[in-house]
Amino acid sequence: MADERDPKVSQRYRELGAEVPSRELDQAILAAAHRAADKPHAPLVTPVGRHRWYFSLGAAAVIVLAVAVTYHMQQEVPDPDSVAVPAAPEERAVDAQAKRPAEKPSPSVAPAPQPSAPEPARELAREPAAPPPQVFVPDPESQRQERQRELAREAPGARSDSVGAAASRPGTAAQAERRAEPGPAPAAKPMQAPVVEAPERMLERIVQLRKEGKHEEADKLLAEFKRRYPDHRIPENVVRP
Amino acid sequence: MAEAPDEQLMLAYRDGDAGAFETLYARHRARLFRFVLRSIKSRASAEELYQEVWMRVIEARATYKPAARFTTWLYAIAHNRMVDHWRRAGLNAVSLDGIDVPADDPGPQRHMEGREALARFAAALEALPAAQREAFLLREEAGLTVAEIATATGSNEEAAKSRLRYALAKLKAAVVDG
Repeated sequence: MADERDPKVSQRYRELGAEVPSRELDQAILAAAHRAADKPHAPLVTPVGRHRWYFSLGAAAVIVLAVAVTYHMQQEVPDPDSVAVPAAPEERAVDAQAKRPAEKPSPSVAPAPQPSAPEPARELAREPAAPPPQVFVPDPESQRQERQRELAREAPGARSDSVGAAASRPGTAAQAERRAEPGPAPAAKPMQAPVVEAPERMLERIVQLRKEGKHEEADKLLAEFKRRYPDHRIPENVVRP
Repeated sequence: MAEAPDEQLMLAYRDGDAGAFETLYARHRARLFRFVLRSIKSRASAEELYQEVWMRVIEARATYKPAARFTTWLYAIAHNRMVDHWRRAGLNAVSLDGIDVPADDPGPQRHMEGREALARFAAALEALPAAQREAFLLREEAGLTVAEIATATGSNEEAAKSRLRYALAKLKAAVVDG
């Protein structure tokens, strides 16, 4: 590479003068250098980017927003009783049978809403103008029946009847059921959900009692059955011969 | 330590040796100051910018790595500060005020001619585009090569070489005319 320099130009440039910084400027710079050397690696200028006030403010705003949205969503959850889908009695009975060994304590009434029930209910709440799905159209008759059944289940006699019937059964099945009970914990019993027995199951029990000659118990159970399911057809072998 | 290369002095200062910085500063203070002063019209602004350059050197000592010559690094800092200055204030030319005349007194006629020739040269330097003037000053004051000028100014070698050639041609014309 050619030397990009001209001697005459360089000489003329030197003739322009040899300015130097002032003494005060030199002292200020050297003093800053000494101060920095005393505090090794400490920046002369505070890094402002990492400690700006609006970072903390932004974080606080995000937290407040999250809490507000969560609270709002909780407020929007509808009352399960008002939108619960009434399940068929057979279906509920099967569920109750399946739940009985576990004896889960649950404060809610036995026909708890299906897990998918709140979701469409929330959709309904959000879109009131939209036509409700067929599954949510309340049938006045079924509602009335459902209400009656709930009242019956809430009555303390229903539970005691069920337990009493189980106790009266002979053999290992009743013993096993009794063993499955959580023991003498009367305080816990009111917390347990009342068991709803399917009508077919009740009829079977009545037939069984009749076979065993326990007609009085069978009559009681039949009366209870009639009270619970007044519209249900009663087979002949259930009625006392 | 006085004969140590710039890079070694800077590393020593990074490790807490303030005396190394004093040596480094003494080596570069006048040249750097002239580079800044002749790039900027106002002396006050030049002093402010000159101080900023050294403060930046002090501040960056912890991260200094001798990847290039210290001089190239120093003038790259100065270049960046000047770019910021030009952005704030617009492009300013060098000042013609306070040009020193050589001490020898060749007589009133020669003295007048010398002043005129020097004024013409200073005017030609002032009239250079900022990039060309910067390339010339980096060559004359800092002694940088074309490649180092390109590094310090963030351009490529061809551009740096072209700027330097244009600057030299115009200044040479001013000298010949004198």
